[in-house]
Amino acid sequence: MASEVLLPTSPAEAASAFGDGSGVTVVAGGTIALPDITHGRMHPARVLMLARSGLDRIERSGGAVTIGAATPVAALVDGDEPLASAAAHVGDDEIRGQATVGGNLCASAGETPRGDLQAPLIALGARVRSAGAGGERVESLEDFLAADSSRLVLDVTYDDTPRSAGYAAAWRPHAHHYTILAVAAVREGGETRVAVTGGGPTGRRCPSVEAALAGGASTRDAAATVLDDVDPADDALASAWYRRRVLPGLVQKALDSLAG
Amino acid sequence: MKLNVNGVEHALESGALTPLLHVLREELGVTSPKAGCQSGGCGACTVLVDGEPRRSCLTPLGAVDGAEVTTIEGIGDAHDLHPVQEAFHTLHAAQCGFCTPGMIVATVALLKRLPQPGRREIERALSGHICRCTGYVKIVEAVEAAAGGSR
Amino acid sequence: MRAVGARVEKVDGIGHVTGQTTFVDDWRIPGMLWAKVLRSPHDHAAITKLDVAPALAVPGVRAVITHEDVPKNVLGHLEGLGVPADEPLLAESDVRWKGQPIAVVAADSEEAALAGVAAIGVSFEERPALLDVRLAFEADAPKAHHWGNWFPHFGGPDTPPDHRKIRKGDIDAAFEQADAIVQGVYRPNAIEQMPVEPQVCACVPESNGRLTIHSCTQGVYFTMGIVAGHLGVPLNRLKFIAGTVGGGFGGKVESWTEPVVALLALKTGKPVKLRFTREEEFLCTSTRAPWHIEIADAVTSDGWILGRKMLTLHDAGAYARFSPYGVTKHSFHIAGSYAIPNIHFDGYVVFTNRTPTSAMRGFGVTSVSWTIETQMSRIASVLGLDPYEVRLRNASRIGDTTPNWVTLHDPSSVPVIQAAAEAAGVELTADYRTMTRDPRSGDLLPEWLEGQLGDLDAKES
Repeated sequence: MASEVLLPTSPAEAASAFGDGSGVTVVAGGTIALPDITHGRMHPARVLMLARSGLDRIERSGGAVTIGAATPVAALVDGDEPLASAAAHVGDDEIRGQATVGGNLCASAGETPRGDLQAPLIALGARVRSAGAGGERVESLEDFLAADSSRLVLDVTYDDTPRSAGYAAAWRPHAHHYTILAVAAVREGGETRVAVTGGGPTGRRCPSVEAALAGGASTRDAAATVLDDVDPADDALASAWYRRRVLPGLVQKALDSLAG
Repeated sequence: MKLNVNGVEHALESGALTPLLHVLREELGVTSPKAGCQSGGCGACTVLVDGEPRRSCLTPLGAVDGAEVTTIEGIGDAHDLHPVQEAFHTLHAAQCGFCTPGMIVATVALLKRLPQPGRREIERALSGHICRCTGYVKIVEAVEAAAGGSR
Repeated sequence: MRAVGARVEKVDGIGHVTGQTTFVDDWRIPGMLWAKVLRSPHDHAAITKLDVAPALAVPGVRAVITHEDVPKNVLGHLEGLGVPADEPLLAESDVRWKGQPIAVVAADSEEAALAGVAAIGVSFEERPALLDVRLAFEADAPKAHHWGNWFPHFGGPDTPPDHRKIRKGDIDAAFEQADAIVQGVYRPNAIEQMPVEPQVCACVPESNGRLTIHSCTQGVYFTMGIVAGHLGVPLNRLKFIAGTVGGGFGGKVESWTEPVVALLALKTGKPVKLRFTREEEFLCTSTRAPWHIEIADAVTSDGWILGRKMLTLHDAGAYARFSPYGVTKHSFHIAGSYAIPNIHFDGYVVFTNRTPTSAMRGFGVTSVSWTIETQMSRIASVLGLDPYEVRLRNASRIGDTTPNWVTLHDPSSVPVIQAAAEAAGVELTADYRTMTRDPRSGDLLPEWLEGQLGDLDAKES
């Protein structure tokens, strides 16, 4: 019954220990995996722990910001927007200190969507570097999420460039509730990217909103098109009806907070 | 694996995936961190790991091998109460007492980081700690008093 | 009264703030086994197979108990209050709610106990489930309980066996005189007590034949009686160490872990502990009941409530537990803090295939208090009147009687509502600001009520 535990001490070791990922359960911060193991809902044969992998760094160089997969969410709270606001919206102090960026990107939708950092990173145009079958790979976060493959996230990168950012979230009844709805928007140069948490099982980009903005629509009219971009579900925190009802207003709020 | 718990070094037999909460309670007999939910949702198991508040139920031992762990036993005892403990006691911020060790440990970490927190900051720092008896009013008052006392 | 207004040191405070208070889970007991529970995955089903042999083959498993191991499996916890026994400690031929306990495994570790539970061979034949009290009275409703879909054992003078019934005054006259009828349907939902300490119990079999039971029960002597009853042993075989409770709020009168752990300790001859997970706390322990309450109030345009018709369906879940007692209490409080001279009330304890409901902080009363205050605001809103004034107009005064004919000698409704208005910064008009709780007279006594309040207190023959 006891699991084999691998504790790599470098990113390369982590990638090699992960191999093609078959039969490997990754534990980074442990906030999702540990309760499942404790309560007997999960019996992992091999566990790859990232605590000592050296993947917990944030580097700003060469015109890019790179965030290691094992970086705790707390390390983002004072960083770039809209990631900082989204990070502050995750759990509480202790959870943020422990939960990681990689865990957040790989968190499957449980009973409710729980990858709060996905939408702001999509809005930032982030790329994911991952290891697994076929070796290392770099792809956009949207492609990574869409592929739904079992890969080990090594880090995530976005351009270090001037931008205006907006973030709006629905009120959480309690610090331990997952986010019901959140909207992240980024304007870089002439381009605006918008993404949503709570519009589906993972963070989603909103091409209709972006196209409407590019076509000169008002933020109100552009925000209304978000319903074409999402497919929210009923869960214990909110109904799909509620999410569809509230989302356009949040999108508009995020867009209105962007500078000219 | 090893841990320094409240200043004492321990060599441990528990496996790398064992939650720190289990190591403290079952292997070392340190029972102040409570198994309130074992899912990270109640705050009653909170301890300091290298000075930072952590949910011990979510922390696998392998991730903190060699760390310094402080539980409320390492903060103060009946003969030498820490100002936070004193404030919780005199202002009746502990009713049944089950959430209290986690509350106090998190408060000590908060005051170290932010010696004069405002009400909003206190509420935010304790937002993951559930109390079902006192309703938080007295707890927040105790934290304010402890911060005032340490001025 | 030396303590009133004085700051008194809390007797167990130092232990709490230093983490040294010993809660049940904190007792270190050498050689202790851990227990885990096999529960029903279905709302309603027949148990077609139960084979514990595979569990006993799991390494570390020391014992498994089922209903066959319980000397008195079906024991009434509230028989003293006229609620006959209906609920098994461990399920026998059927399960009636998702989470109902079927078997309990004791093993050397929690992991081994969980593996033992998973190894038990159990099969079910699912039955239709009743999950909504509103459907309980339909002819083709699933049968949730062997007594039928509502509690049939009330009885007593002026009370039919199958519900609580109150007929006071002349309800038809009240509705004829009314300027308006204000109706409302209220459905206060279930609430989990959620003490931060989950239910936990440890039992140590002593060499003198006694059982030492570390329990977080809220009612030590109540729980002792339950354990003695299920085990069929005299009270002097049981030594309870209790009193330190990490929050209870009604949930810890449940007294289920204690007899189960005692039976496992007897069977294994070793100390055994059972600690609920948070998931079990939420899904498998009693909650405050959900209620379905329909009200029709006959009111005058100036805000007098002349009469109230009320139907209550109390969702007991799968077994009676404390629900009949809750509905009896509820029936006394259906007018809240107000004097309503004419009352027509029917209240049913309805069985469904939901988690049984039971005690929580003023159960039977709190839910109806919320309902009534919401209804009072609705009356004010419908009539276009001030909600404080509607409340004060109808507030109980000295000499008024409750729905169950208790005369009020010391009612505090008037000063409390006045204080609430003041705290909320609401200016009352002079009449209401100076109103007292003295018996009604003068302008605040409606003509139709004059001289009648006492006379209306006769029971319908």
